[in-house]
Amino acid sequence: MKLFRILAVWCFILFAAAGIQQVQAQPEQREVEFSSAPQQEVEMADTLRQDGKIYVVVIVLVTILAGMIAYLVTLDRKVTRLEKQMRD
Amino acid sequence: MKKNWWKILAVVLLVFTVVAGMLSDVPRLAILNETIRNLYFHVPMWFGMILILLVSVIYSIKYLRNPTIKNDIIAYEAAKVGILFGVLGIITGMEWARFTWGEYWSNDPKQNASAIGLLIYFAYLVLRSSFNEQQQRARISAVYNIFAFAALIPLLFILPRLTDSLHPGNGGNPGFNAYDLDSRLRMIFYPAVLGWTLLGIWIINVKSRLELIRQRLYETV
Repeated sequence: MKLFRILAVWCFILFAAAGIQQVQAQPEQREVEFSSAPQQEVEMADTLRQDGKIYVVVIVLVTILAGMIAYLVTLDRKVTRLEKQMRD
Repeated sequence: MKKNWWKILAVVLLVFTVVAGMLSDVPRLAILNETIRNLYFHVPMWFGMILILLVSVIYSIKYLRNPTIKNDIIAYEAAKVGILFGVLGIITGMEWARFTWGEYWSNDPKQNASAIGLLIYFAYLVLRSSFNEQQQRARISAVYNIFAFAALIPLLFILPRLTDSLHPGNGGNPGFNAYDLDSRLRMIFYPAVLGWTLLGIWIINVKSRLELIRQRLYETV
């Protein structure tokens, strides 16, 4: 149950971050500097490649952080289970 | 669940730190360039270390007033996590210094002082491990812990300010006020400090609970 709530918070943060990215990305996408077909904008998933691919770094850092925290959460739950066993 | 809200807060703050810390606007400064973002990762290690070592000292004092195994265990685990934060702080500081000050170790007063401070705390671990008798170990290391913390504060916050230093805030530099212009940095820096500190406290929480179970197991066996 606890894990589900943590997962829910996690998803919320990811979607919020994705929302911020789109808001930031939109004004930049309008200025196409170079294109073989001017006036025509091809829709691509450009967000992750923008700003020197900084978003890739963010994904990596968030993944490492998520892994570490998931490990700590499982440790925490194991200790809680041990505490319950000791009480009985 | 109600007791664990601060763990969720820690996760939220850390995710915010990483995402906003990488994507937010930062001041464009010469030499520092984008490495100013290290403010959200390197500096909170030290702030977190101080806060966590403060927890350790408080439990050491509590032990001396009321000698229970629990107070001793929390003081010890907090000191270990504080030392971990300090070691990470000094390593990240060296990495940052290599690319902004030119050398890993430039004998900056604050670098030297923090290294001495860490050595004092390493001595705490050595001292602790040299006693067999539990009460003696707990009492003497509690007293030492108070002295170690009392030595750490001038080493980190007073002595480096009396001379010229590369760190901001020393030798007449404006210090933390240099960032005053940018409330943007503070908006992420303070949540980062809180997030990393809470992560440290979470680790202390899990480790000391585990240690208490182990002690109780030894008593019953």
